[in-house]
Amino acid sequence: MNLSYRFYYVWRRNLAAYKRFVIPTLLISLGEPFFYLIAMGIGLGAYMGLFGGQSYIHFLASGLIVASAMLTSTFECLYDSYVRMVLEKIWDALIATPLLAEDIIAGDIVWGMFRGVISGFLMYLVAALLGVLPVSPSIVLTLFVLMVLIGILFGSLAMIVTSFAPSFDFFNYYTELVVSPIFFFSGVFFPLDKMPEWIKFIANLFPLTHAVVIARATFDNQLNSGHWLNLLAIVAPMAVAFYLALFFMKRRLIK
Amino acid sequence: MSSIVAAKDLVKKFNGFTAVDGISFEIKEGECFGFLGPNGAGKTTTIRMIHCVSPKNSGELRVAGLDAGVDNRDIKRLLGVIPQELNLDEDLTTYENLVLYAGFFDIPRPEARERIMELLEFVELKAKMKNRITQLSTGMKRRLQIARALVNQPKLIIADEPTTGLDPQARHLIWQRLRELKKRGTTMVLTTQYMEEAEQLCDEIVIMHQGKIIRQGAPDQLIREEFGAEMIEVKDAKERVFRRPATLEDVFLKLTGRHLIE
Repeated sequence: MNLSYRFYYVWRRNLAAYKRFVIPTLLISLGEPFFYLIAMGIGLGAYMGLFGGQSYIHFLASGLIVASAMLTSTFECLYDSYVRMVLEKIWDALIATPLLAEDIIAGDIVWGMFRGVISGFLMYLVAALLGVLPVSPSIVLTLFVLMVLIGILFGSLAMIVTSFAPSFDFFNYYTELVVSPIFFFSGVFFPLDKMPEWIKFIANLFPLTHAVVIARATFDNQLNSGHWLNLLAIVAPMAVAFYLALFFMKRRLIK
Repeated sequence: MSSIVAAKDLVKKFNGFTAVDGISFEIKEGECFGFLGPNGAGKTTTIRMIHCVSPKNSGELRVAGLDAGVDNRDIKRLLGVIPQELNLDEDLTTYENLVLYAGFFDIPRPEARERIMELLEFVELKAKMKNRITQLSTGMKRRLQIARALVNQPKLIIADEPTTGLDPQARHLIWQRLRELKKRGTTMVLTTQYMEEAEQLCDEIVIMHQGKIIRQGAPDQLIREEFGAEMIEVKDAKERVFRRPATLEDVFLKLTGRHLIE
């Protein structure tokens, strides 16, 4: 592995290309959490009791923030990375410079993470404006670290999938068979404690489950030393996934 | 003159298929060196090994005294690559493309800006500076790719079929720019399928066929050796006979065969 600071240049390149789409995508990214929170939080929440002493929308919003970071970084490193690599041939241009394959792949993963963090914070912003979630510097900082880790983890996982993808259709296997179950069974929409044991067991293998636990504890001001284990359940797979993403994608690029 | 690229018994295999089969060559500073050959001859593979995006399987390859496959970053810093396919950043403007690219070489912004203005002048794209790439013609895009390859003031320029798919006007403009670079003493490696292009630009050519170098020399020298000064062409359908000077195309066809290579 030969990673250098130059991965930052790839991030910067993506940012420059993205500039033109900032306003439309921000509008879309603001709209989505808004509708999610209104439809599910308020609409569905009206028929539900309290969740740990608080409203359903409060329960939902804290989980959706990290889930949104996961989804955005996933899709960025599937479709958008694929477009840059195969269709636009941007990577071919990058690799003719002092950048090596590792810089390019890492730069794209970091970019996917960045987009994920933005979309998570937009969800937070909407929830805060609706008065659903509290705001404080320590909450913002904890969420930031959490979403950076989730973004790198799921960006890397997506990059591994992209490294094997012969076409766009290939991504459906991953999004439908892996990402969807993680999205629905990580305790974002309902607490896991009333689920059968085997579902609980599987859910605990999902890193997002642990991110949701940390996010909720952060908002409820209940972070304790036990949460280090939850953090480990995110960081360990992240390190492995990042390494494998560089390995497999490099194998695809350098022939 | 010292050599800037030196290859010895260079081999490249893809899953058992030998794309480059033990070739040796030397490219001297200041010359324009052409790789000619039909599709699949191994030209592009050879070039990709020189600019360090494809690792060799065996043999030796040194670029500017550095070991290709080991000192990749340092080698790539010294090269300017004009790729076969267009791979400009379509979402950005002409100017932004060059600025970002200069950044990849750690060139400081003020210096980059100065060089870019000169280069835009050189490739006659100053008027299109603020246009997005989607608004440029193919010929303009090709010229921009030349400017982009020059942004780091490379010791060696690698042009992989720089005029494929262009109309004659656009092609001649590119040739003119490449000749101008030659005049300034830039070392160039060129692959092409157009014999006219090789005759126009190259001091030294190798003809590749099925991964091997089958002939090497200056273009006129190769023509002389294979045909002498003139040749007689017989169009067999109506038995018309022409007497004309031999060209590099004749040499190429004689050496690589007239059948279709796919």
